[in-house]
Amino acid sequence: MSLPLLDLVKTRTVLLDGAMGTELMARGLPQGTAPEVWNVERPGLIKEIHGEYFAAGADVVSTNSFGGSILKLAGHGLGDRTYELNLAAARLAREIAPAGRYVAGSMGPTGKFLKPQGEFTEEDFAAAYAEQARGLAGGGADVLLVETQYDLREALAAVRGARSVCSLPVFVTMTFNSFPRGFFTLMGDSVVKSAAELEKEGVGAVGANCTLNSEQMVGCVRALREATALPIIAQANAGQPVIGGDGHVGYSQGLEDYVRFVPEIVRAGAGLIGGCCGTNPSFIRAMARKLREESS
Amino acid sequence: MIKDEFLRNMYEAIVAGDKAVSVALAAEAVRSGADLLEVIEKGFIPGLQKVGELWEQGDYFLPELISSAEAMKAAMAVLEPELDRNKIEAPTSGKVVIGTVEGDIHDIGKNLVASMLQAGGFEVFDLGADVKLERFVEKAEAVGARIICLSALLTTTMTNQKRLIGLLRDRGLRDKYKVLVGGAPASRKWADEIGADGYAENAVAAVKLVRTIAGRD
Repeated sequence: MSLPLLDLVKTRTVLLDGAMGTELMARGLPQGTAPEVWNVERPGLIKEIHGEYFAAGADVVSTNSFGGSILKLAGHGLGDRTYELNLAAARLAREIAPAGRYVAGSMGPTGKFLKPQGEFTEEDFAAAYAEQARGLAGGGADVLLVETQYDLREALAAVRGARSVCSLPVFVTMTFNSFPRGFFTLMGDSVVKSAAELEKEGVGAVGANCTLNSEQMVGCVRALREATALPIIAQANAGQPVIGGDGHVGYSQGLEDYVRFVPEIVRAGAGLIGGCCGTNPSFIRAMARKLREESS
Repeated sequence: MIKDEFLRNMYEAIVAGDKAVSVALAAEAVRSGADLLEVIEKGFIPGLQKVGELWEQGDYFLPELISSAEAMKAAMAVLEPELDRNKIEAPTSGKVVIGTVEGDIHDIGKNLVASMLQAGGFEVFDLGADVKLERFVEKAEAVGARIICLSALLTTTMTNQKRLIGLLRDRGLRDKYKVLVGGAPASRKWADEIGADGYAENAVAAVKLVRTIAGRD
């Protein structure tokens, strides 16, 4: 039995993986198809992506289950396959994970709103995430990663849902926008409020992902560090999407510029660092190199 | 002449996102025989404009924006039948067809823009998410809208915004419509590249843009 992930974080910076969706698209995932379907239809390709991230130096990969809550899958008519698709997601990552590496069960937002803006209750959300968590835990995930959350209430419901079905550590990343007054989610949750309430809920680590580029992420991690003693996760986007002349989508922050801020993100207090939109195994390889330089 | 205090209350009810008070004030305006156009233009609409400013400054977030838009729509629902009955033309700003492009089921941003446009006096035809490109054209033709708003959250589906413009061109309808694009991966530059008529970064900016395009401001 290797060291639990939360113990590893105490000894060194942990490297997470980068984007999954764009890797799937590059392998031919048709537009409009739920990526989670490929966990059973194209398992080899999913393992290939995880394998590339591990080979690049990632300590942890996130399962192909970002849109795997009941509510999100229901949008594709797949709500009744929630357990099966999440179970497969975790199993694939587990099977390809070398000894001593970790599998984080990815749980992205439902895309729905709680009352009064929407029609759902916190109990509905908790149940939608619980079924997903059950599949991910059953498939062998080491931790659950509730990620890219824009509503603190939804994130808390997800944590409770996960808790109701398994005892795995739960990590949470919120997606913050940068404003003159600081960093806030779409719903207006501040870094301080988010960190405090998630800590009270007993999560293993908190952090920020998506939306911000790696330069902006430095400030966000600093704000998180001031707000909590928990391990901090940082997964920045590689800037904004840009369309090349050939119609190919790229991201505005190139690899060199992106990784330039890795040491600062770590010094600001991040204990687990990885990529988000626009990143790929090359980014993770470059981040691994930066981390080695930093620690030597 | 309506008392300033009455108009001020309307303004404040919208800024506070208080639906019940907004509706009550609208009903009171109808009952007292007030000039309803003045009520809308000097009471409620400035409230909505203030909400937009507060959002842009980062003081208001999505919940406040939605509450205010809902309050505005509820007040207008009280005022509009009365305007119709008196054969007064409501200050509608035009018709807009909106939706998230095919292959993309994300609708939070689109819903917010639709809601704000409606609150801003536009007649909005919301086609939902994962909308076949043909449907945008069919709907716009059917209802006589001149503005089509396209949302996309994914870098892989934003290309459908470009395809819609191609579709309009193929049908010889390109000049008939103004096509506006939005969504996380979209940008001013993207809009220019695909030959769209405009881009807005957020819901408040979208309302301003549509107003400008519709020739209201």
